[in-house]
Amino acid sequence: MILPARYARFALPGAVLLLAAMAAFSLATGDVRLGPERIWAGLLHRDAMASTVIWQIRLPRMAVGVMVGAALAAAGLIMQAYFRNSLASPDLLGVSTGGAAGAAVAIASGWAAVSLWSLPAAALVGSFAAVGAVIALARRGASTERLLLAGVALNALLGAVTAYILSRYTDLYQRNAQILFWLMGGLEDRMGMHVMIGLPIPLAALALWPLGRPMDLLSLGEQEAQSLGIDVRRLRRRLIAIAAVLTATATAIAGTVGFVGLVVPHILRLLVGPEHRRLVPLALVGGPVFVLGCDLAGRLAGGLRLGIVTALIGGPFFLWLLRRHQ
Amino acid sequence: MATQAPSVNALEIADATVPGRIESVFLRLAPGAIVGLVGPNGSGKSTLLCVAAGLLPATGSVLWRNRPVAALAPLERGRSAAWVPQEARFEFGFTVRSVVAQGRYAHGDDDRGIDEAIAALDLGALASRPVNQISGGERQRVLMARALATAAPLQLWDEPLASLDPRHALEVLLLARRLADAGSTILLSVQDLRVASGLDALALMDSGRLRAFGPPASVLTPEALAEVFGVRVRTAAGLVFELP
Repeated sequence: MILPARYARFALPGAVLLLAAMAAFSLATGDVRLGPERIWAGLLHRDAMASTVIWQIRLPRMAVGVMVGAALAAAGLIMQAYFRNSLASPDLLGVSTGGAAGAAVAIASGWAAVSLWSLPAAALVGSFAAVGAVIALARRGASTERLLLAGVALNALLGAVTAYILSRYTDLYQRNAQILFWLMGGLEDRMGMHVMIGLPIPLAALALWPLGRPMDLLSLGEQEAQSLGIDVRRLRRRLIAIAAVLTATATAIAGTVGFVGLVVPHILRLLVGPEHRRLVPLALVGGPVFVLGCDLAGRLAGGLRLGIVTALIGGPFFLWLLRRHQ
Repeated sequence: MATQAPSVNALEIADATVPGRIESVFLRLAPGAIVGLVGPNGSGKSTLLCVAAGLLPATGSVLWRNRPVAALAPLERGRSAAWVPQEARFEFGFTVRSVVAQGRYAHGDDDRGIDEAIAALDLGALASRPVNQISGGERQRVLMARALATAAPLQLWDEPLASLDPRHALEVLLLARRLADAGSTILLSVQDLRVASGLDALALMDSGRLRAFGPPASVLTPEALAEVFGVRVRTAAGLVFELP
């Protein structure tokens, strides 16, 4: 633990302040630079131009970034506790790829155009299928090797589904472009609609909030947790449902954004220790800080997509983790 | 004594079978006794402890204080019985103190009895260390302290002495005696038959079956030792460990 215990309680207020700063930065940055006064005027609709930029473009982008960050960080935290393995995360286990494959099927088949909700619903089905497969392949308390191998296999399988769809429907250029969007993950052109579709994220976060302490016990072993008074089967069902909803919804509104679920919980654990009562709120705030930070970095670097930036940061981080894990 | 049949049994296992591991085991323990579970490797001791703790589905029935375990709510189970596994894998670096405090989960408080449990297992100096950075014997003591913190009247310990040094092993046995004197029942598996012979009663497991149950002298007969363990017994002078 980097922070001494007496400072750990300042971690959450600190993260909230950091998030506020990131959010303000996110609203200020873009083709039209806005100072604090103009942001404020725009938010209150006193400046027509600033108001349009803020309400139509930057606020939805920021809100989607916040939701995606919170969802992926929390989903990573859940999966690490569930599998008792700190290398578990939605993207490594194929849950994000499952969501993307579901979204790709929905777009290619035209279901996505039928209703606002069919795309997230298809992403949810894909994520749940992937979660079910990981559980069947790796079992709880699985060793790192088994878990990662299960993830490799699933990522390959589900990636093949997406690749098949891309090659099969080459004539429909627009649909393919849409699918490519999911695969690269990004916050461009997000609208109020995407914020609406993301609403299951705060609901799932609310459901996760009180589960910190049971997660502590579960992360030390299934039988131990049960002997200490946890209804393990019920808890596991709830956790995996929450993780799948979070990952699928995040994938539906921003595509596959990798490494957030791995990097953020790890950094937080290094800072304040492994207790989930602390980590759950921190992940819900720290995830958005990381995503907004990566998004800003991508924008300042001339428009790199979010999924690329998180992978550029997350890839080396993951390699470092594997080295440290030995 | 465990051999009598009082009106309330701390633990009653009737006709418990886990296919391939234990077969039709009947066991009845009175309150306030330390009962040792002995038997060769793979004879079903750990399985029986898991069944007794209600952690492993088995045919037959398991009753704690005459109430079927299956009918108890999870939290009540957590308050009624504590189970200490033979070994534990800790992926995350929880502090010793916070692991011990997990024993209070079913009670809904975090502080009661934690310091006492930590002191009883001599973990004071390790309290703020991460559990994945301490030795196997120390980890075993952390799990014991957590079981103690639950204040459960039924304590099920799987080889609690296996990785302990002589002094801490003696302390754990003394702790078991204190708990039993206060009315708790302790069922623990032991490999060391010399330790086992000092307990209140013994249950001898052999290839998944309960072969004998009763006072140590009646269970650890030369015939049983020869047949089950394949060893001969002989009394001789040797090392005797005592707490100063």
